[in-house]
Amino acid sequence: MDNSAKHLLQRLVRRIPASMLKSTVDKWGRLTAEKRKALDFTQSKWTLTQELVALCEDSGLTVKHITELEMIYITENPNQGMWHTFQLVDPEDDAHSVELMQFKEQFKSHLRELKRNVSVKIKKHTDEAVWIRVAWGDDLSRPNHLKATYVVHYLQTPYVFVNALSSKHKPLLLQALTLSTRHQQIKAANLSGQKLTALRDLLMRQYRQVFPTKYPSPLVESDQSISKLRIEKVQAEASANRHRMAGETFGDGMLPALQSAVFKLETKFKDPTNEAMTQRDEPFICSVKFSSSNLLESLRHCASSGIASTPVTPLLSSIPLKGRNYFVITDNVPT
Amino acid sequence: MEGASARGVLSHLSLLEVQARSRGSRVPQQPSRVKELKAKIEALTSQRDQLKAELQLHKKLQKLRAPVDKQQEDGEDEEMDLDSESSELFHLMARHSELMDLLHAHNLIGGYDAITTNRGKGMCFSLATEYEGVYLDTYNLELNLKPNVRISRHNIPPFIPLNSLAEQSDLQSDVRPFLATVSQHLNAFAGRRQQLKLVKEQHKSVEVMESNLLCSILVLMFTVPKEKTALLCTLEYNDHARCLPTRVHLNCEDELLPDSPKWKKNCSLLMEVPVHRALTAIKKASDIV
Repeated sequence: MDNSAKHLLQRLVRRIPASMLKSTVDKWGRLTAEKRKALDFTQSKWTLTQELVALCEDSGLTVKHITELEMIYITENPNQGMWHTFQLVDPEDDAHSVELMQFKEQFKSHLRELKRNVSVKIKKHTDEAVWIRVAWGDDLSRPNHLKATYVVHYLQTPYVFVNALSSKHKPLLLQALTLSTRHQQIKAANLSGQKLTALRDLLMRQYRQVFPTKYPSPLVESDQSISKLRIEKVQAEASANRHRMAGETFGDGMLPALQSAVFKLETKFKDPTNEAMTQRDEPFICSVKFSSSNLLESLRHCASSGIASTPVTPLLSSIPLKGRNYFVITDNVPT
Repeated sequence: MEGASARGVLSHLSLLEVQARSRGSRVPQQPSRVKELKAKIEALTSQRDQLKAELQLHKKLQKLRAPVDKQQEDGEDEEMDLDSESSELFHLMARHSELMDLLHAHNLIGGYDAITTNRGKGMCFSLATEYEGVYLDTYNLELNLKPNVRISRHNIPPFIPLNSLAEQSDLQSDVRPFLATVSQHLNAFAGRRQQLKLVKEQHKSVEVMESNLLCSILVLMFTVPKEKTALLCTLEYNDHARCLPTRVHLNCEDELLPDSPKWKKNCSLLMEVPVHRALTAIKKASDIV
């Protein structure tokens, strides 16, 4: 095992939390059962790393195998780093019949055409997600496995999620993706975050949306303490309306755990008491960021409790409706 | 002390006695009770008249509606003695109630249901899917009607090409062909997905090698008895509006096996019959384990 492989393995073992190390190594399956039994996972990470390196060297494992281990770890724990979403547009006629083998071959060949020294690994996950790992090299150097890019795509959907992609390699990756999925263009989808599962669930509509029906559901039961009874009676209808509108805008039950939304304002400053600012001709540029452990549930609560007015303003309802969390607002047209 | 309290009690008792006597001698409060009852009678009478009028209205509307399967051509017993304005209104109301019933019936037999939203500016359709008599998921689609017909929001998964289906049909003139196509695609998808689920449940000896979200491709691995050879079967569902494959082909190490008459028959069976049932038949014929 050469030094780069050792280094990669050391870095990887440091990265994987101690609680997950055993199960990840077991799933990897590259070490025989007896070798795995010899590993004592209660030791310190440092000692464990040395042992693992020794075992892997003994088994004759290479960089290729270590990258497998990394891919298994990331696939099982995708909610780390920063994922950015892209959207494929203008499908060709045969875009809808692209199947896995074809996609794999086409992607690898297109990417290699654009950049010779790349190491590509493609694997299909049980939930039909296609995971791609790309380690980039160039004419002079071998692929750098320490800074690999990860891509997740579900075939026959327009969305692609990308992690750790440098601006230098971005056009190459996007072109290879566009061609191998038989589309004509790809554009930024303005949806990013740490939790891949949240981004995916939002775009694939894997959460309970609420639609108007012929049979409205009954009012939610509230506690009947006498003092609140009179207030409740008067407020019941307004409260029920707010709940309904909040539910229709954001959804029901557990919502995808989006963690932030950014609004970049390029609008004229409007405050009649501040002449100095309103006199300026240029728009006032500022950026507003909402952060939460679950932004959509927070916004839904704001709407249902009356903190945010209902019907919910398009600025907020666009987040679930358009599946974006980055907006640029100008005076002419909010996009 | 005792005297004072006794006086208090005694005077109270004598007060009560006086009250009881006066109550006994007073005329019972019949007038107000009678008034109450008369008012109730009036209210009930007017309610009865209102219901009678509604009943008459419904009877008239029934007569105006297109005869569905009744053979009642035996003359009208009442002439429509209405002036033209209210007759037009009646016709509209009859037509409206007819359409509402048609929509309800359509929904009952598994078709989509529709309601207006946003004070008539939008409509929400709920499209149910079913396969082999079992209801599966229901999808919803909201349309904005003003200024022009546009898809507003929906919970249809992104691998159903909703936008391209919308482009292919003219939404502005008639939404029904569009809805029919979407419903067809959704039902076909739900059917294919259900077939895959049944294959996994009922045929554990068959390994699913590949599938996708749209369930438009299915690669299965069979084990042929006797020699225990592996047989790879690829089912391509290129027509996304159908539940049956458009192409079936086999791959085997033994190149002669797929061309055998037995397997040619099995291939055509897989093209004509849903996969889970085809597999049951093939297993019964002992062609696969």
